[in-house]
Amino acid sequence: MSLKFLQRFNVKDRLLGLIVPLFVLALWQGAVSQHLFSELLLVPPLTLWNTIIELFRSGDLISNIQVSLNRVFLGFLLGGSAGFILGVGMGLSPVINRALGPLVKVLQQVPELAWMPMIILLFGIDEFARIFFIAIGAFYPMIFNTYQGVSGVPEKYHELARVFDYKSFRYLSKVIIPSALPSIITGIRLSIGLSWMFLVGAELFGTESGVGFLMIMGRQMFQIDVVMAGLVVIGTLGLIINTLLKKFEQFVLRGRVSFDGGAA
Amino acid sequence: MDIIVAKDVRKKFKLKHGQQVKNNGIVSNEIDALGGFDLNIKKGEFLVLVGPSGSGKSVFLDIVGGLSTPTSGVVYLDDKPVDAPSEKTGYVFQQYALFPWRTALSNIEFGLESRGVVKEERVKIARELLSLFGLSDFEDRYPYQLSGGMQQRVAIARALATKPEVLLMDEPFAALDAQTREILQNELIRIWEGTDTTVIFVTHSIDEAVFLADRVAVVTARPGKIKEIIEIDLPRPRHGDIRSCSAFAANRHKVWGALKAEVNKAQQDWKHAPVNSK
Ligand SMILES: Nc1ncnc2c1ncn2[C@@H]1O[C@H](COP(=O)(O)OP(=O)(O)OP(=O)(O)O)[C@@H](O)[C@H]1O
Ligand SMILES: [Mg+2]
Repeated sequence: MSLKFLQRFNVKDRLLGLIVPLFVLALWQGAVSQHLFSELLLVPPLTLWNTIIELFRSGDLISNIQVSLNRVFLGFLLGGSAGFILGVGMGLSPVINRALGPLVKVLQQVPELAWMPMIILLFGIDEFARIFFIAIGAFYPMIFNTYQGVSGVPEKYHELARVFDYKSFRYLSKVIIPSALPSIITGIRLSIGLSWMFLVGAELFGTESGVGFLMIMGRQMFQIDVVMAGLVVIGTLGLIINTLLKKFEQFVLRGRVSFDGGAA
Repeated sequence: MDIIVAKDVRKKFKLKHGQQVKNNGIVSNEIDALGGFDLNIKKGEFLVLVGPSGSGKSVFLDIVGGLSTPTSGVVYLDDKPVDAPSEKTGYVFQQYALFPWRTALSNIEFGLESRGVVKEERVKIARELLSLFGLSDFEDRYPYQLSGGMQQRVAIARALATKPEVLLMDEPFAALDAQTREILQNELIRIWEGTDTTVIFVTHSIDEAVFLADRVAVVTARPGKIKEIIEIDLPRPRHGDIRSCSAFAANRHKVWGALKAEVNKAQQDWKHAPVNSK
């Protein structure tokens, strides 16, 4: 345990992870300044950096990030809670499981993008369509992991609940959910992660805001630097969100033996 | 006065499709776990059940605890038929079954929360029990930070917290090493002798049975019923060193005498059982 802890802060390993990207950046910058590539096609890192700063200053970036985060949040809230509720139901009741399980499995096979025409037909190209699209992405990891956690609650915990007269809501909140929590949190993490992945897909159709929109505008106006800035921002925000979620996971599951810091 | 009365309790289990078992030479797809279990337990007594593996001891405990219903027959608790878990009953399982997300203190509070006891009172009761088991310094520890013996102490404390009239204990020390086991037996008997709780305790250890019990009830090989009840004539309060006195050995001998034939019979049954009988 303590050894693992030290290794996580091993300075050498950390540096190695920094040196390679820095080396690539230097090569890239060098190649462009030696005119090996057109600056118009492959924007050098320094220009990219300036573009990002510029977008920040103008407030464009911030407002579009806000819009995107908002969409991810609403999509996750919609799809995640649906997945959570159905996952709990399926985990607790074999009848619900038999009734819904096959349907969920079939729908899961439908590739995400294949939903798009359907959604557009149903809702038109509006904000709800975009959120619904993200929600579909958020739904599956949540229903699957919640079901796993709830159906895996040890028989002994159910018996203890009966012995000590835990019923309905108290049974759910004091026994089932805490017991299933490691799975549920994994579900939340994957669910938000997928929402983030599908955000750009959702912003590809008919939006006038969001980080995805920023990139599409950049493409249309042939501003490669803006397109690349969008990529950097999406990647960085995704990383930050994932790191925060892992911290959250560690905090909530502190004190549990089976929890090893979230390798998944 | 009898606090628990079991009258002709029978329990059959339907086996899964394709599974069969022999009951007295007849092949059947039902298993007779209990076959006419009669037992009266006095208020405040420490009764130990011993019997071969698979003789229905756990099934009987589940029925007394209201976790399972008999196929026929009744168990009365304070003259009322048991049909659901009762507030008067506490249960300690073989596996610790502590909740890993709760500290020692909070695990002990578990049973009090559903009974509407306020936080302050809960903590007070839980702290008293922790100190009774010598675990006061461990109240903030999570189960994985406790040894097996400590975990089982917490599980017993959790069952005692609701002040049950009847405490059901199903091989609570089976997973512990021999030394820890004796220490816990000593602690349990010390704590129990200061209460008027009725205990039904299941074990495979004859030493444990003799050391703890007022009476040892020997259960027959499946289908389980009471074969013989042996009064343990050792004085109370009992201390650990009673294990080496000759009266202890004599009681031990009596219990083993009643149990031996049943264990052999159960083993014969397993030998003759069809391969897929479990
Ligand atoms: N839910 C069940 N379904 C089918 N058979 C069961 C079930 N529970 C118990 N049995 C059977 O009933 C019989 C008695 O089981 P029980 O667990 O009460 O035995 P036991 O005396 O506690 O044994 P051990 O000493 O090994 O714990 C066994 O043959 C067991 O296989
Ligand atoms: Mg048993």
